[in-house]
Amino acid sequence: MNYTRTEIGSNIGFTSVVDKKFNSCSLQLLMIVPMGENASDNSVAVNCISDANSKLNSIAAMNERLSELYGAGFSSSSTIRGDMQVLSLSASWLCSRFAIDGEDITAEMTELITDSLFSPFADENGFDESVFRLSKKEILDIIDSRFNNKREYTIVKAREIAFEGEPIRYGGYGPREQVEAVTPKSAYEAYKKLLSTAQIEICFVSPDADNRVQEVFREKFGAIERNSASHTFYSPSPIKPEPVLVQEEFDVRQAKMAMTFKFDTDDIDAVHLMCIIFGGSPVSKLFVNVREKLSLCYYCACSMSEYKKTITADCGVERENIEKATAEIHNQLDEIRKGNITDEELQSAFLALENAYTSFGDTHSSYISWYTDCFFRNEYTTPNEYLERLFAVTKERIAAAAVNVRLDSTYHMLNKEAE
Amino acid sequence: MSREIITSKRTGDSCVHVKHKSGLDIYIREMPGFSTVYALFGTKYGSVNTTFKLAADENYTEVPNGIAHFLEHKLFENEDCGVFELFAATGAQCNAYTSFDKTCYLFSCTQNYTENLRILLDFVQKPYFTKENVDKEQGIIGQEICMTNDNPEWRVFFNMLKSMYHSHPIQIDIAGTQESIAKIDADLLYKCYDTFYNLNNMTLSIAGNISEEEVLAICNELLRPCEDKGLETVFPDEPDTIVQAEITEKNDIGASIFHLGFKCRPDSENFLRKEMIATLAVTYLTDASTEMYNRLLSEEIINNSFGGEVFAGEGYFSVIFSGESEYPHKVREAMFEEIQRISAEGIDEKMFSRIKKAAYGDLVRQLCNVTTIASAMISSHMAGFKPFDVVDTVSELTAEDVLQFIKSELLSEKTVLSVIEKI
Repeated sequence: MNYTRTEIGSNIGFTSVVDKKFNSCSLQLLMIVPMGENASDNSVAVNCISDANSKLNSIAAMNERLSELYGAGFSSSSTIRGDMQVLSLSASWLCSRFAIDGEDITAEMTELITDSLFSPFADENGFDESVFRLSKKEILDIIDSRFNNKREYTIVKAREIAFEGEPIRYGGYGPREQVEAVTPKSAYEAYKKLLSTAQIEICFVSPDADNRVQEVFREKFGAIERNSASHTFYSPSPIKPEPVLVQEEFDVRQAKMAMTFKFDTDDIDAVHLMCIIFGGSPVSKLFVNVREKLSLCYYCACSMSEYKKTITADCGVERENIEKATAEIHNQLDEIRKGNITDEELQSAFLALENAYTSFGDTHSSYISWYTDCFFRNEYTTPNEYLERLFAVTKERIAAAAVNVRLDSTYHMLNKEAE
Repeated sequence: MSREIITSKRTGDSCVHVKHKSGLDIYIREMPGFSTVYALFGTKYGSVNTTFKLAADENYTEVPNGIAHFLEHKLFENEDCGVFELFAATGAQCNAYTSFDKTCYLFSCTQNYTENLRILLDFVQKPYFTKENVDKEQGIIGQEICMTNDNPEWRVFFNMLKSMYHSHPIQIDIAGTQESIAKIDADLLYKCYDTFYNLNNMTLSIAGNISEEEVLAICNELLRPCEDKGLETVFPDEPDTIVQAEITEKNDIGASIFHLGFKCRPDSENFLRKEMIATLAVTYLTDASTEMYNRLLSEEIINNSFGGEVFAGEGYFSVIFSGESEYPHKVREAMFEEIQRISAEGIDEKMFSRIKKAAYGDLVRQLCNVTTIASAMISSHMAGFKPFDVVDTVSELTAEDVLQFIKSELLSEKTVLSVIEKI
């Protein structure tokens, strides 16, 4: 594997990974801006970009072209890191040497992506009305359909409560009403602003060394006047003076609960280990006690946002057992605070991390995810160096970190019939 | 013991198939340059296998719905400790799943794969069921059933199957119901285990950073030779008609969804060929470049969640179109019109060749993924074909094959529309 990272323009990073074992290529382009009132305009804008361009004038034409290129993929998304909005264009395609008809798929895809990014289907009035309408509806539909997945919805609601008053409260797309207010013109203005002001980070994974992709982006961005700031992603969420509980009732069969904890420590590595021991594996304290010993749940797990310094523990549970599950989650956290961590628990957490980080490089996504995380952390290390640091964490450090973990808020989705 | 190398004519990729002396079929694909090892040890036993007998049995045994899935949960408990603990001590990730037609136990790791393979082969061959551990599992699986019942995608799918199939057990929820799992006890679990977890009915599939020699040495050491006891599973006769054309349920959800299913005739002789023809037909009908797709999209009758899939196995074959829509009846109407139009006008050769290219591209890309390869090897074996047959079969299909399938199998009178409407 060969890795390089180059600045190809003002605040534009280009990471290239060449790994001969693959038979396809992937490219991810991130545009990063502070989450703010233009968030929904930005989201709709990148969706318009990936749905059509000045040569491929409709969703149909775009899809037909991707299909011709051996089922290539091209999509957009809008997420958050810390208080930043991360707008992403992602593409993947079959390596040219597998083309039956001898096409240069990489060249064709590079052209398609850059056409979309630098020459969208728009005029002085904004994005083309028909593409815009469908692109905006796609985002509204994504927001609406979150409620179809009750676990996801529970996490979304928990985030809204935990981050009340913060710009990222509603996630990467912004609030629904803000998306509804987006116009072809406002999205197009947002697009132009993104090109000139967003911090840009590109990651390209390929089986062959091919500088053409990097050079095309360098040349295209070179023609744009850029005035972009670098961003930091760490932005801890302030803890509420008293824990807040929000409950909602729906016509559902199973109640769900998400508890958001916030931590006030800079020992992120210790919190990382703590999360694995607390609820990050099938031998974690939550799995073993809440699920296996008490038989209260099918799932009970936790995840961490290091940038916002939060931990979310969630489970699906009978309404009548919510208190019991809550008590046990607190109880298991207390156990960690007291340092009641067995050698086996710590060792299995180390081994799980080792397993996760040494599989680095087996998929395109593992490369992209690692180097993107390095960029967000502004810390370029190898997975092995990172592992070494995690292996240095002790039970004492984990317990000390857990003491600084406090409940911020809880969301309950309750089933009506259990009343 | 026999060994063969299976090679794709189209891509040159290969794997090794060993028929082990124990009765087990083993598939191995060494993948130099990769760090991960992914292994699945599975039995051809899923939720549909509720009626069975061995050659020595006089009568068929019928078991409660959901028992294959229950058994999968319980195999994770050894007499001494939980299986999760054993894998945790090596750092591997382990899991299991039960589908309609198989149960698989799996691990993924980058270190100690030989030790992990030993654990996998050992625990699956060592059942330990007691009244206490069976009772404990009722609560956990009960919550799993509750969770899936709140999943509208699951409900719209099973409502469709119940409206499509009169008697085939495919319509039964994989995990069963709270009532059916209450009838499961340790004796029944042992009965099912002894019947279906015979190595002659099982497959090991392993891919990644491995050595064939090491894998086979461990298999030789740990696999206990099994006598083939003549397992026979039966399914009730399934009429070639549907139960009802429409089913609607109202749920507390954010976006209304639908499944439009066409009941087709199963073809066990040419299963893969028919499945691939149907897959291309589905892609042809749902392609985002077509006039129908773009009209429905523009009129906001569908959104980009619209798509299709082939759902087929022993004794069942259907084609399902699905997505979010507030107007599922209009989608059905448009699909019927499009099928009629294609039947009358034929297939556009240029579009067909583009769709085939896209399918080829997708399949070739999957060959570079350890997890996908190992999963494909076990699935293909259990479905009765060889691992790379999919790529080779797709390359041989013609537009006429797809046209004939659309004309003869996508019939309006054998269609079920299942809808979950938001309240």
